[in-house]
Amino acid sequence: MITVDEKKMEWHQGMTIRDVLDKVENVRFCAAVRLNGKLVSSPSFETTLIPDNAVIYILPLIAGG
Amino acid sequence: MADFTLKEIKTLEYVRPEIEKGYTDHSLHIDISSADIRINPVDKMVKEKFIGGKGYDLWFMWNSVTGKTRWNDPENAICIASGPLGGTPGYPGGGKSIVTTISPLTGIPIDSNVGGYFGPYIKFAGFDVLELTGKSDKELVVLVDGIESKIRIYEVSGLTDDSYELSMKLTDYFDKDKPVNISVVSTGSAAKHTELGCLNFTWFDAKRKRVRYKQAGRGGIGTVFAHKNIKAVVARWGTVSMKINNPADLEAMKTVTKLHAGEINTLDPKQNRMALVGTTHLVPIMNDHDCLPVNNFKYGQHPEAHNIGEAVYEHIFDKGFDGCWRGCAVACSHGVKDFVPFTGPYKGKKVFVDGPEYETVAGCGSNLGIFDPFFILEMNFYCDTYGLDTISIGTGIAFVMECFEMGLITREHTGGMDLSFGNRLNSLELLHQMARGEGFGVTVGKGIRKMKAIFARDFGADAAIMQDIGMESKGLEFSEYMTKESLAQQGGYGMALKGPQHDEAWLIFLDMVHNFMPTFENKAEALHWFPMFRTWFGLCGLCKLPWNDIVPEDNRQNPEPAKVMKHVGWYADFFSSITGRKVSPDDLIPMSEAVYNFQRLFNLKMGYGTREHDTLPYRSVGPVTVDEYLSRTERYDKDLTDNYNVDITGMEVSDKVAVLRKHRESRYEQLKDAVYKRRGWTENGIPTVETVKRLGIDFPDVMALLKTHGVE
Repeated sequence: MITVDEKKMEWHQGMTIRDVLDKVENVRFCAAVRLNGKLVSSPSFETTLIPDNAVIYILPLIAGG
Repeated sequence: MADFTLKEIKTLEYVRPEIEKGYTDHSLHIDISSADIRINPVDKMVKEKFIGGKGYDLWFMWNSVTGKTRWNDPENAICIASGPLGGTPGYPGGGKSIVTTISPLTGIPIDSNVGGYFGPYIKFAGFDVLELTGKSDKELVVLVDGIESKIRIYEVSGLTDDSYELSMKLTDYFDKDKPVNISVVSTGSAAKHTELGCLNFTWFDAKRKRVRYKQAGRGGIGTVFAHKNIKAVVARWGTVSMKINNPADLEAMKTVTKLHAGEINTLDPKQNRMALVGTTHLVPIMNDHDCLPVNNFKYGQHPEAHNIGEAVYEHIFDKGFDGCWRGCAVACSHGVKDFVPFTGPYKGKKVFVDGPEYETVAGCGSNLGIFDPFFILEMNFYCDTYGLDTISIGTGIAFVMECFEMGLITREHTGGMDLSFGNRLNSLELLHQMARGEGFGVTVGKGIRKMKAIFARDFGADAAIMQDIGMESKGLEFSEYMTKESLAQQGGYGMALKGPQHDEAWLIFLDMVHNFMPTFENKAEALHWFPMFRTWFGLCGLCKLPWNDIVPEDNRQNPEPAKVMKHVGWYADFFSSITGRKVSPDDLIPMSEAVYNFQRLFNLKMGYGTREHDTLPYRSVGPVTVDEYLSRTERYDKDLTDNYNVDITGMEVSDKVAVLRKHRESRYEQLKDAVYKRRGWTENGIPTVETVKRLGIDFPDVMALLKTHGVE
């Protein structure tokens, strides 16, 4: 089980960030997430594996400085 | 006992205008030449049309300068204003000052939005705007004392130029018992010898018992300040409460303040964590998306970038509350305690560094090919101490480094210094030279536009290639984002009123990453709405970060999440509650539009403000060199074949570079057409008569100016 924006989600072996985002609505403008406190950016969404019990926050649209 | 001398040369006792619904309705004008002090009521028309903050600054400057005024003429004004909402304790980002002057770099008005307590304190002392004109023969300190209702002007001697020490001494001098009552504006020694001078605005950090800084960095405002021979302007004020702005509806103001602050306290830890890392979270994100400037904006990514991002600075920043205004929940103004510089006059001594923010990290780090977080701290520290803008310094030195590596300049020109990318010691040496007013540093301190002319004229350097790689527009150095793959952001920089600063429009991700604005019309609409809304913060005395860097949890369900409309609604409520002028979110854009167009007309008055000045160096549009093309071959090949239907079979890379350039430059010109049309401007980028009439800024001198330029 993992936590995505403080909601529980089933975990499976080989799960990636992209897999998670595919299950969440309205994430068109997601360019980065925090996975267990560390930033992961969109170019790595397909290749970043999520460990079980991970805590993920979907960051808002990047707004610049 | 102070080790400096203040000799009082003028004192004015005044009846402090009370604040009513966010305004004092009075302006303060000080002519430094004659020590003349005037307090005037603010006209009702000015209040209605120009709102406050930057709007007031521009109006008073407009009436002080002529089209022939240059930055170093006595009549050039430095204006500082907060705004009707500025100074509200606890409202996130609620304590900004907006500073304007005619820039030595651009010749047109520059504006800078800065934290610290000065703007609110000046308002509490009785003045919606402070205007400084003239030039003194002797160094002066100005005190606006709202507690004693006195304005004092002093001749000063024996006071250091180093901004930290100067600010601490003056804070101690003017209110030793309650240093939090003092805010000091000053610059530093390098502002006297360069055109990149910044202003440091202080607030007193009671926990750390020291002055802290924010900078009005852009455009050389510090240079104008130093040229006027103003050593410091000091504001003094006492108690600050929620009632300080005497709001029209105190309860409504408290409600919206609590809502916005509460949301940030809840959500920032789950989102960008700005209260912990400031804006350094942007470093890895920009790097991952190929938008972090590396080696003078040549590339957008570097494998060592993780060394200078949030993961490192989170552990270096000193823990504690870092709000640059009282009770700000974003509290992003972090600093580093007990840093020990390895060069310069503070070598081996423990100092406190205010920063770095993203712009300083990217400008003085990656863009110089340097990925050492401690080097960036030292650049940050000396820029602040010497009164220099870290953005223009970073972008300017990056340009010099590329010129050096291309052989356009050599050791013969640099005083023997190797200025290759990555050279840390010589980058710092340039700053020390600027502070001492000697060596090649003084040339670098003139800014990129003047360097290009000097290198071509005196060193025989190729002017055309320098035009392509010198990252300035309108004379101002670019801030630190790569724009090659975002046409909208090219417009955001190229058509920004003051020059390429990102505070008008930051559209890279919407455009490049999310492809949210595929057509010219989409981009033009964004280049209307976002600059207008961002302008509104500068009218009211607010910071933009609480608007869209921490957003509601349900924001992504909004069809246009970038606008964060729930927060726009809160801002409308906030404005209504203080001023009593009932507004809806839709009313905020027209407020800004009048000031925005007035600033464009101000550019025109100063001899600029037309299409030819909205140009970009090609480095910001596409690959200048074969190397750059080859670094992203797949991307550029695809652009040529898919977007421009070019058959690239058998083409040399140099030919691809040339063909791509032709298409991309043409695309930028088409964008200009679309944006000018959306903004109600002529094809030459001048507001039409219809536009100025619609916005109510059809003053006689504006109409005469338009007529001079054939707009009738």
